[in-house]
Amino acid sequence: MQNLDVISVNIWQILISLCNLLIIFLLFKKFLYARVRKFVDQRKANVDAQYVRADEAEKAALADKQKYEDKLKSVDAEADAMIKDATLRADRRSEKIITDAKEKADDMLRRAQNEIELEKKKASDDIKHEIADVSTLLAEKVLEREINSDDQRKFIDSFIEGIGDGDGSDK
Amino acid sequence: MNKKSMSFKLIDAVLILMMIVPLACAMAIQVMTKPAADGVAIEGARIFFTIPMPIQDLPITESQVNTWLIMISLFFLCLYLTHGLTEKCESRRQAFAEWIVEKTDELVKENMGEYFKSFSPFVCGILALSAFSSLSSMLGIFPPTSDINVVAGWAVIVFILITYYKLKGGVFNYLKSFTQPVPVLTPFNIISEFATPVSMSFRHYGNVLSGTVISALVATGLQGLSHMLLSWIPGKLGEFPLFQIGLPAVLSLYFDIFSGCMQAFIFAMLTMLYVAGAFPVEEWQKRMEKKKNRKKKTAQYETVK
Repeated sequence: MQNLDVISVNIWQILISLCNLLIIFLLFKKFLYARVRKFVDQRKANVDAQYVRADEAEKAALADKQKYEDKLKSVDAEADAMIKDATLRADRRSEKIITDAKEKADDMLRRAQNEIELEKKKASDDIKHEIADVSTLLAEKVLEREINSDDQRKFIDSFIEGIGDGDGSDK
Repeated sequence: MNKKSMSFKLIDAVLILMMIVPLACAMAIQVMTKPAADGVAIEGARIFFTIPMPIQDLPITESQVNTWLIMISLFFLCLYLTHGLTEKCESRRQAFAEWIVEKTDELVKENMGEYFKSFSPFVCGILALSAFSSLSSMLGIFPPTSDINVVAGWAVIVFILITYYKLKGGVFNYLKSFTQPVPVLTPFNIISEFATPVSMSFRHYGNVLSGTVISALVATGLQGLSHMLLSWIPGKLGEFPLFQIGLPAVLSLYFDIFSGCMQAFIFAMLTMLYVAGAFPVEEWQKRMEKKKNRKKKTAQYETVK
């Protein structure tokens, strides 16, 4: 078997070697770099998306926090307002109850007075009748004469009316 | 880590096997075809057969065959590294693949700039092919990088790339650059232009070959030294290679591993620097602007029309 000289230039060998390097470049590009880059890029995109999501979540959480803090602050104010409102309403109600009670009491008093007046009147009328009857009887007995009972009665009525007028307390 | 399926493991095993088989083939060819060495013989690659071609016959030598076998091995290494990639980077294999991609990207970005981003597979290809070719001498096979033709082929690509990027700044500017700084220097500039690939290829090839030469010389010298010291002992013991035991291993450590990786790195580095340096960024930008303006003008003209 022959050997090449230590230094021997051959165009075709150079060309083959040139092609070899190009082939290995293409193989590396296609089978190593393209494949690895695909996954690295995917991961990068995923991580970026996750970061964006995390930022969004943080923003949302901060907004929620702000909202709740505001709410807490407003809750105090609301409670104050509610208490004030409740007191006001209770005051108003108690006032109303008191006035109602007063009115009722007044009403009852008035009615009682009216009844008393009526009773009084009724009593005075009854007394008048009694007196009239009694006086008729008396008169009959005293006079013992028969007179027209109607006339007599009219007479006595007018008399008693006169008494009542004279009395003044009778209306 | 999720459990891997049987078929996944099987494919893995096949890929690893296919990585090893070409190298084993190269070793087998070496063992079967190499004649027994007698004394110090520094020769080029062995010729397996010759294909008649115009201009020059093409001898298919060890360096070609070994390069192809190494390429096949590298191809299956790529497939192995990218087998079972996941988005979460679960395996050490994927971490390694990503480390390679990331590091070469970084290297290219640092030395060439943002414009040459797509160069990283090329640089990685040079690094891998050169380093593995040089390291193949560890297996006892002929390292393809110690053949000038192999390295010259790579340097020719670099030369083409350099010229291509120089032409991007304009043909006139490219031709004018030969007369800089004074027209008298034109021949020297032309020579220096061609000296770039020549120096690159000779540097790489020379380093790897010289490693082989020095290793052979030292081994022979040590053989002589042990023979001189031990020849008075009768019998087999007199031929005991006492000094050949440790020292060649240390030399191999330097010439095969360190020098091989170093030369690969230097070649890749020079490629990057030359190509990036050949690209006249300012000129190119000016031309692009001019082109844009011209387009704008024609567009305006057409609208007016």
